[in-house]
Amino acid sequence: MSLARRAWLNRLATHTAAAALSALLIVWTLVPLYNMVRVSLQGKEDVFSSSVIPESPTLHSFWTVFQESYWLLANFWGQMTNSFYIGIVVASLTLIIGTLAAFTIGRMRFKQGWMLSNAALMTYVIPMSFLAIPFYGIMGKYGLTNSPIAVIAVEVTFATPYAIFIFSQYGASIPIELDEAARIDGASPPQIFFRIYLPLMAPALVAIGTYALLLSWNEYLYAFLLLSSEGKLTVPVGLGKFLNSDEAPWNYLMAAAILYAIPPMVIYYAFRRKMSGGLTMGGVKG
Amino acid sequence: MTKISRRRAVAGIGAVAAATIARPRTAKAAGELTVWWSQGFYEAENKAVIDSFAAWEKKTGTKVNLTIINSPDIVTKLTAAVQVGDVPDLVHPITLSSFVASRLAWDDKLEDLTDVIDSQKAEYHEIAILGSRYYNAKLKKHSYYTVPIKCATLMEQAWRPLIEEAGFSDADIPKTQDAYFDFFQTVHDKLRAKGKRIFGLGYSMAAKENDANNLFHHFLVAYGGKDIVLPSGQLNVDDPAVRKAAVTALERMTTPYKKGYVPPGAINWGDVDNNNAFFARQIVMTPNATISIAVAQMEKAAQYKEIITHGIPLGNDGKPVPSLLGAQPLLVPKGAKNVDGAKDFMKGFIEPASLNRYLKETRGRWLPVMMANIKSDPYWLDPSDPHRPIAVETGLIKPSIPWWMSYNPAYAAVLSEQLWPQAEANITQKNMTPEQAAEIAINGIKTIFDRFKIG
Repeated sequence: MSLARRAWLNRLATHTAAAALSALLIVWTLVPLYNMVRVSLQGKEDVFSSSVIPESPTLHSFWTVFQESYWLLANFWGQMTNSFYIGIVVASLTLIIGTLAAFTIGRMRFKQGWMLSNAALMTYVIPMSFLAIPFYGIMGKYGLTNSPIAVIAVEVTFATPYAIFIFSQYGASIPIELDEAARIDGASPPQIFFRIYLPLMAPALVAIGTYALLLSWNEYLYAFLLLSSEGKLTVPVGLGKFLNSDEAPWNYLMAAAILYAIPPMVIYYAFRRKMSGGLTMGGVKG
Repeated sequence: MTKISRRRAVAGIGAVAAATIARPRTAKAAGELTVWWSQGFYEAENKAVIDSFAAWEKKTGTKVNLTIINSPDIVTKLTAAVQVGDVPDLVHPITLSSFVASRLAWDDKLEDLTDVIDSQKAEYHEIAILGSRYYNAKLKKHSYYTVPIKCATLMEQAWRPLIEEAGFSDADIPKTQDAYFDFFQTVHDKLRAKGKRIFGLGYSMAAKENDANNLFHHFLVAYGGKDIVLPSGQLNVDDPAVRKAAVTALERMTTPYKKGYVPPGAINWGDVDNNNAFFARQIVMTPNATISIAVAQMEKAAQYKEIITHGIPLGNDGKPVPSLLGAQPLLVPKGAKNVDGAKDFMKGFIEPASLNRYLKETRGRWLPVMMANIKSDPYWLDPSDPHRPIAVETGLIKPSIPWWMSYNPAYAAVLSEQLWPQAEANITQKNMTPEQAAEIAINGIKTIFDRFKIG
């Protein structure tokens, strides 16, 4: 066999293996999503049918969710509003605290500032779930159980260390000479922060804002522990109630889950380019 | 004017913030009643609860903060609340209710509700009330730490059309333990011969939630293991009859699985999954803790009648096997702000007429805890209903026994640690013999019981 033919065969084998692996990964990733869509398009009686394609596809489940006409979905849009409220406040507070902390550490020559950002990251050593009961106790002491403020406080606590770290790393790529030039021109630290620092941090802000929003959007444990009243629940907790019934309304559950997944997907795709730039920045700066 | 430096200003703001944060506030008002109630399976079940509290709120003028919570989650939430001392006034758990109640009673974390029980003691079913009595290790005494409001025992449900498709009728279904479960394997074979991918038996074998534990213990009793814990609270697992019953129960539950008569996914089923598989007609029969499977189909007259309900089979000797009657409780955690309000609500709620109304509004899925309801209301034994009278007869009229947590809370830990379903997994997944798996489970049980000494 000639050398060229052997090389061609090697390339063919490599490409075939890569294609097979890719196909496997695509199927592995998409089958659960396809199943969600399939079940949401089926009638209540057909959700356990073994057919791969829905026999009589219908949008009835989505319409039911829109109208909140099934008892477990009676407050779906209210729960969606609560999720939005918590998500947006968490993202905003994370950005405010994160940028201010990173600015102080990185730009105001704060002594041993690197220790602060690294210490914040150390909090991730303890898993979120381990802190559930202590947090519940703290919130109870301050009368915050059954208040969205409790969930917001917890989520901000968990999102902020990562935000400070990423902002510090990203901020290090912005030349300090810009600050010095501004200072010579008479700018105060707040002016430097708002007029120079923040505009240049835009990609990192988008990335961390999206990260904090998604963190709270998908939160279940703390939301169900800290919130009680029906009117204050978020969508994940509301959907959890589906797993307690004999009536198998999986089509409604899947339709609601798809609708709930749309806002994060829209946000992700809207800011995708800026987000990846911001998230990878922390990885190349030491 | 003194100029305040930036550093001092920041320090001042920090001090004010710290002082504000450090001043704890009262979590709940004492004039309110905070209630956590397990979510029902049907809208009517929740509505009945909401209506009851609304009526009490109107009568007393006390504001009720009612939260209806996913049943498995209520235990997690209650555990957190008790740990930090910020508890609701009244709780109705269902999933793991006996686990949480017996453990909290042991730790002296529950209010004694004997005065509530006493208000209706004469009306209560003997076993339902016995199952609400728990041991307090601090006070070294048994007492009523929960108030039972509904109860249930294991029922078997099967699809008549599938049995008929296999060439059998209701009359062909055997009445005794082994023959009963073997029959559905025969149905399985007949349906498979017709090209149907249906499983004859559909029971959970998962080491989670309630169902697998529930069925195992009914098997255990059926094979003679009802004295695994004695009424004195002493573990009796070394009794050869109990040990033999455990091994037989494990063998009889796992062999059909290994032979393919039970869906492979049953090793990971949650409590609702056998119901779903049943509705999808993927399984011919399934055991269930209540008659909820049939009740969920009540509005579809044809399906309601296509489902056959049986009580637990007779023993292999043809004698009745006592059913394990589990009562679902109300409880009041210690530290509750409005204990009097909670007790007042309970006393009204458990009046026979009131309780009967609630249970009927929940479509009769749960059994009454008071024989007065059975005697005074023909609804419960209505012969035209194909399910409810059978459940009543199995749980309340035929012999029954309480779950062993009322003798010793250690058994609640045995259930929550899923020692018996794990033994099943050791047989089906690790190819242990039933004897080996039983030995491991028994050793685990002994270790747990060492932590709970009564007296």
